[in-house]
Amino acid sequence: MKFSEDKLAKVSEIIARYPEGKQKSALLPLLHLAQEEFGGWLSADTMDYVAELLSITPIEVYEVATFYSMYNLKPVGKYMFEVCQTGPCMVRGCDDIIAYITEKLGIKPGETTTDGLFTLKTVECLGACGYAPMMQLGKFYREHLTKQRVDEIIEECRNKAALNN
Amino acid sequence: MAIKLLLEKAHVQGIRTYEVYRREGGYTALEKALKEMSPEAIVEELKKSGMRGRGGAGFPTGMKWSFIAKPEGVPRHLVCNADESEPGTFKDRYLMEFLPHLLIEGLIISSFALGSNATYIYIRGEYAWIPDILEEAIREAKAAGFLGKNILGTGFDCEIYVQRGAGAYICGEETALIESLEGKRGNPRIKPPFPAIKGVWDRPTVVNNVETLAALVPIIKMGGEEYAKIGVGRSTGTKLISACGNLNKPGVYEIDMTISVEEFIYSDEYCGGIPNGKRLKACIPGGSSVPILPANLLLKTAKGETRYMNYESLSDGGFATGSMMGSGGFIVLDEDQCVVKHTLTLARFYRHESCGQCSPCREGTGWMEKILKNIETGKGKMSDIDLLWDIQRRIEGNTICPLGDAAAWPVAAAIRHFRDEFEWHITNPQEAQIRNFGLAHYADPIHVPVTA
Repeated sequence: MKFSEDKLAKVSEIIARYPEGKQKSALLPLLHLAQEEFGGWLSADTMDYVAELLSITPIEVYEVATFYSMYNLKPVGKYMFEVCQTGPCMVRGCDDIIAYITEKLGIKPGETTTDGLFTLKTVECLGACGYAPMMQLGKFYREHLTKQRVDEIIEECRNKAALNN
Repeated sequence: MAIKLLLEKAHVQGIRTYEVYRREGGYTALEKALKEMSPEAIVEELKKSGMRGRGGAGFPTGMKWSFIAKPEGVPRHLVCNADESEPGTFKDRYLMEFLPHLLIEGLIISSFALGSNATYIYIRGEYAWIPDILEEAIREAKAAGFLGKNILGTGFDCEIYVQRGAGAYICGEETALIESLEGKRGNPRIKPPFPAIKGVWDRPTVVNNVETLAALVPIIKMGGEEYAKIGVGRSTGTKLISACGNLNKPGVYEIDMTISVEEFIYSDEYCGGIPNGKRLKACIPGGSSVPILPANLLLKTAKGETRYMNYESLSDGGFATGSMMGSGGFIVLDEDQCVVKHTLTLARFYRHESCGQCSPCREGTGWMEKILKNIETGKGKMSDIDLLWDIQRRIEGNTICPLGDAAAWPVAAAIRHFRDEFEWHITNPQEAQIRNFGLAHYADPIHVPVTA
């Protein structure tokens, strides 16, 4: 397991943002980078590699990786639907959206489809309350969700996956 | 038309780019500050402006800045808190997405005033596309000579870096944010020492909200005294309100804090009323942590006076009959909403976000969620209401950071104002599964126009 030369240059650039000897500050950005690079989740090997890059002990990485909700500690689907379920989204009908995705994909929150394509996850407030109901899909938000929008998003993901195969 | 100091140019085509921002008068406040003013003079203007921190606590920013320690030879840092995570709040996101240069300009002025040569923007990890926008703005500002070495020939050096969080509400608390920036779990620190003395890497640090730092631009442009003339009393300047819930026009609005709550909800200039002619039931006016108010206490205070959208008026009556301005996350519930269920989602949120350091919060938030879930699903007992009250009271004030209070207040206020709705859930467990309690006596007390 190793970052590409490109990514290693990025790692050095990130570490240079902090004072000498404070390279541990780069831990969160490096875990994001590693998760993107090594299959969408953080295995023990991945975390050990990040520890090595920063000259810190593996436990310092584990304790951080387990604290923050965006780090996946087990494999997830290629497309993760992270649907917000906090108050303002609840008021605008997120329960119906979650139920619809469950029905449509046959997975409950926390589960992944058998083909490994989709994971459904319920999350807490993502700061899109005025555009609810909503979900995070990869880097971006999908807002003003309706059942029809959900259908379109699922279709879009399937098409993208088919193209990449 | 209301006065707009921050969002005035938000709809100008291409304002996200340096070229357009500059053409529209951007970076003139920075030129004024760096060429004509000393750091001390900037802090003085900020004090005169009376601006209060826009993140939620409302502490006067000028005073906060004046606390920063200046030990010889020790670098100081400014950290911009862009970890916007309080349910109902999405105003900073709007500013960063659409007016990135306004924030960068405010950050450079503030960095100069505080003597920060390395300034960090700590942004919540879920806003994953925004760092690209900010980093592009930083690149452009640097190319124009407003960042880097010896800015405008003043001898002042400054770099701005964007750091993404990874999903933790608690990192919006300034000492947790500092821990996170150091590459650790977001566990808040015991204060004192305050960050102004010992912050990131044990160096003097100021942490301010995005909106607060962006407001430096109009304050420098117009001068602190002029800024203080806008608004009313100790609510000076303008405030961004992010409105959501049952509204015709949810979104981010800039208000000058002289308008009434009624005008904000019902006028076409702002939220345009409640959809489908429904009536207002309740509102959380300042982000999920502040007390929920029934309609009859929201539009008018307990004394029967008009309630306004400012720090003093929203908190009129204390927690007994008032609420707080908080972060400006304005959540509206119509007559069809269930206060018990809404409170349950907030309790779940705080249980999920508790860092686990202090037992009252770690255990108490879980207990509150469990009890609320029982009541909501028809398995509640009458004694549960007093039990909830007792738990929230034992969390409040007994934790290292204010997350404990933030978790306790929504539950306390829901019981204080909507106790009969909780009781109804317990006495009518079956009925509560198929219909909501409705409006009852919380109806809006004044005539309100029905909008489409």
